Amino acid sequence: MKKAWLLTSIAAGTLFVTACGGDNNEDAEADNNDVNTNDTEADNDNDNAEADDADDGNDEAGEAAEDQTLIFARGGDSVSLDYASVTDGESSRVTQQIYESLLFFDEDSFEIGPGLAEDWEMHDDGTRYTFQLREGVTFHDGTDFNADAVKLNFERWADPDHEFHFADEGYAYSVYGTQFGGFVGDDGHVIDEINVIDDYEVEFVLNSPLGSFLQNMGMSYFAMTSPAAFEEYGAEINENPVGTGPFEFVSWDRDDSIVLERYDDYWMEDGPHLESVIFQVIPDNSARLTALQSGEIDIMDGLNPDDIDVLEGEEGIQTWERATNNIGYLGFNEDKEPFDDPELRRALNHAIDKETLITTLYAGMAEPAKNLIPPDYLGYNDEIEAYEYDPDLAREMLEDAGYEDLEIDLWTMPVARPYMPDPERAAEVMQANLDEVGVTANIVSMEWATYLEQTEAGEHDLFMLGWSGVNGDPDYFFGNLLHSDAIPGGNRNFYRNEEVDGLLDEAKVSIDEGEREELYMEAQEIIHEDAPMIPLVHSIPVLAGSDRVEGYVPHPQTSEPLTNVRLTE
Amino acid sequence: METVRPDKQTPIPSPEQEAHTVPAPASPWKEAFRQLRRNKLAVVGMFIISFFILIAVFAPLLTPHQVSTMNAADRLQGPSADYWFGTDDLGRDIFTRIVYGARISLMVGFFAVTGALIFGSMLGILAGYFGRWVDMLISRVFDIMLAFPSILLAIAIVAILGPSLQNALIAIAIINIPIFGRLVRSKVISIREEEYIMAAKAQGMKSGRILVHHVLPNSMAPIIVQATLGFGTAILEAAALGFLGLGAQPPTPEWGRMLSDARQYITSAPWTVLFPGLSIMLVVLGFNMIGDGLRDALDPKMKH
Repeated sequence: MKKAWLLTSIAAGTLFVTACGGDNNEDAEADNNDVNTNDTEADNDNDNAEADDADDGNDEAGEAAEDQTLIFARGGDSVSLDYASVTDGESSRVTQQIYESLLFFDEDSFEIGPGLAEDWEMHDDGTRYTFQLREGVTFHDGTDFNADAVKLNFERWADPDHEFHFADEGYAYSVYGTQFGGFVGDDGHVIDEINVIDDYEVEFVLNSPLGSFLQNMGMSYFAMTSPAAFEEYGAEINENPVGTGPFEFVSWDRDDSIVLERYDDYWMEDGPHLESVIFQVIPDNSARLTALQSGEIDIMDGLNPDDIDVLEGEEGIQTWERATNNIGYLGFNEDKEPFDDPELRRALNHAIDKETLITTLYAGMAEPAKNLIPPDYLGYNDEIEAYEYDPDLAREMLEDAGYEDLEIDLWTMPVARPYMPDPERAAEVMQANLDEVGVTANIVSMEWATYLEQTEAGEHDLFMLGWSGVNGDPDYFFGNLLHSDAIPGGNRNFYRNEEVDGLLDEAKVSIDEGEREELYMEAQEIIHEDAPMIPLVHSIPVLAGSDRVEGYVPHPQTSEPLTNVRLTE
Repeated sequence: METVRPDKQTPIPSPEQEAHTVPAPASPWKEAFRQLRRNKLAVVGMFIISFFILIAVFAPLLTPHQVSTMNAADRLQGPSADYWFGTDDLGRDIFTRIVYGARISLMVGFFAVTGALIFGSMLGILAGYFGRWVDMLISRVFDIMLAFPSILLAIAIVAILGPSLQNALIAIAIINIPIFGRLVRSKVISIREEEYIMAAKAQGMKSGRILVHHVLPNSMAPIIVQATLGFGTAILEAAALGFLGLGAQPPTPEWGRMLSDARQYITSAPWTVLFPGLSIMLVVLGFNMIGDGLRDALDPKMKH
C-alpha cells in the first residue's frame, strides 16, 4: 500500500489539476449550451431552429466567449488588500482591479495620463498642484467620488493620529513615508496641506518641490478607498476593499483564491469586458503550467523560463514578456554580525556567479545586475565596475579579513517572483557558490507573508528578495530599499549611510532631471563601495496564457488592470 | 558504515550444500537460510540490495564527478559517455548523485528501522507480557498512532521538528514503532501461554530474565521479516518526505528530493526523473523480495 504512495504523490498534482480542469471545462461548456439554447428559443419563436443554430455558430467564431470569467493563476496569495500598507506585488495585482489612482500610467509605460483626475496643473515652481476630478464616478458601495474622498485618503496615510490610520492594528504606510518624505510632523514631509476647492477640485500644497510627485499620483499605492467603507469596516478594510475600479470585490479564500466581479456602474465608457476575475494561487510553477495546458486557468504568472521553449508552437497558448523593470538581489542583514563588515560583503559579492544563475534559472531571460536600478532608469550609473565573479579572490578576501568556516543562513522566498522564477533552485546555486569560497550556507524557507514579516523584523542573515518598479522613478528603488527611513520596511538590508540618505533626499525633492541624475550616480558609487547587497539580475518576466485571452498588455510594473481584457471562443 | 550489517544476510553459495543431503536437524536459523536460498525472488532481492550496498560503500571510487559541482554549460544533457545518467537542471551529474543518494537512503532505512525496532519491541514486550493496564495504555497509544495515515503523521512530526534529513529519519522511526510494537505484542501474548514459560515461572525465574531469554528469542522470526519489509517502507517514506521538501535539504542528493526537483522537466529531460525513480523502486523492490522470502523461510508451517 505504501509503495503506491510515492507514485501517487508524483501523479497527484498532475492528475488532480487535470481532473479539475476537465470538470471546469465541462461546466463551462454546459453553461454555454444552456445559454445558447435559451437565446435561440427566446429570440426566434417562429423561425426555423436549425438556421438559428447556424447563425449562432457564426456569430461566436472569434467573438466574445459567453463565459467571461478569467482565471489568473499566480504563485502566492496577496498579503492584504489595503494597497497602501503593503509592498508585495501579489497584493497590488488584485488591488489594481478594485482601486484607482488620480492619474493612470500608459498601458505599457510609465507615462502619466488622466485617471480619476481629468486634468491637473503644477503651480508655483512645483510647490502647488491642482487636480480636476472626474465627475460621476462612484465607489462600489454607491458613495460619490469627490475631493473630500481624496483628502481623506491622503490624510489617512499621512497623519498618524487620523481615525483611519489604524497604526494600532498594525497598519504602516512605508511607501507613503518614502515617497512623500515621511508623515505629518516629520521634517521632510512634503505635503503641507490638502485643500478641497470644490466638490471636484482638490489642491495639494507642498513644503518643497518633489521630483516624482505626479509620478507618485499614478502609483497603485495611492489609490482611492471609499470613505463610507472606512466607516463601515474600520481596520478590516484590508479584507473588504471598496474602490472605484473596474471590478468589485466578492470573496477571498486565503491562500486559495480571490474572486472579483465586474462593476456595472464603472465610469469608463468601454468598461470591463470580463464578468469576473478569479486570482487563483497555485504555488508550484509546473502545476500552474499544467493547469494552463489543461485549460483550467487563462493566464499564469511566473512561467519557468525553461518552459518557454516547451510552449513554443503549442496550440492554444500564447506568451507575453513584461519589460524588464526589476532587480533580484541577495541582501545582507547589516544589523547582524558578521554582515556589518563591508569587507565581507564585498568578498561575497565576488563569490556569486550571476552568469550561471542566468543560464540555469532564467534560460537567458535576464541580465546581470551591478546597480540597484534597471539600466534604462534615470541616473543609472554605467561607470560602476561590477564585482567580477572570482571565487579565488573572494576566498582570499575572506581569509584576509579573518573569516574561517563561516556558517550562515541563506533565506529564500517560497514563491516564484517576477525577478526570480525559481527561488529555491537559485538558492541552491548560490549555496554551491558560497561553498566554493568556504562559506556553509543553510537554506531557510518559509511561507511568503511570514518571510516578508521576518525579514522586515531583521531575523535573517542573507536573504533573497527583489523589487519591481511601479512608477518608473529611481527613487522608488533607492528610497524603499536603501534609505534608512525605510527601516523597518523595504530596507531589509538595514543599510544606514547618512551620505547616501542625504543624496537620495536631495534627488527626491529636485525637479531638475539633470541634477537628479547626477545625485543618483553619486549615490550608486557609495552604495557599490558599501555593498549592502549583491545585485543579481534584472529579469524579463514571462507570462503565459490561453489564446482566448485578448487585449492583455503586461505593464512594466508587476501587474495591470484587466479593464480591456476579454475572452474569445 | 552501517551498511555492513545487512551484508551478513547475503548467503555465500557453497557447493557442499547443493548436495541436498539433510544432515542432523540444523539450527532453525540455518534451516531458514537454506529455505531462503531456494527462493529465487529472494535471491534476486539480495543481489539488488547487495549491489546498492556496494555502490554506497564505494561511492567515491565509482563516481566520475563531484556530487554538487554545477556545470551550467552542460545542464540538462542526456545520458552520454561523460554523464552516464545525464545532468540535471543545475548541470550536476545524475549518476554521481544517484550513487551518493544510495548512501542516504540505506542509512535512513537502517536507522529508522533500528529505532522503530528497538522501541517498538520494548513496548510490545511490555504490553504483551504484563497485560492489563500496561497493555491497555500502550495498545491504545498504538491505536491512536495507527489511526493516522502514516505519511501524514510523519509530515506532522517533521513540521514540528523542522525539515531536515535527521528529523525525517526520526519521524519515520516514530511512525513505524506501533507496527513493530503490535507484532511483538501479539507474539508475546501467544508465547506467554506456552508451557516452557510456565515452567520458567514455576522455577522462580524473574520476569526480566524470562523476557530476555525466552520470550524475545522466540518472537524473533516475525520481527526479522517485518524489519526487512520495513527497510523498504522507510526508504520510500524518506523519499516521500524528501519529495515534499520535508526531508533532506539541498544540496543533499536524496532520491525523493531529486525526483521532486526534476519533475518539471519530466517531458523535456525525462532522465532527470527516470533514474532517481528507478533507484527508489529497485531498492524498495529488493527489500520486499527479501522480506517475502524470509517470511516463507521462517514460517514453520511452510516447511516442506
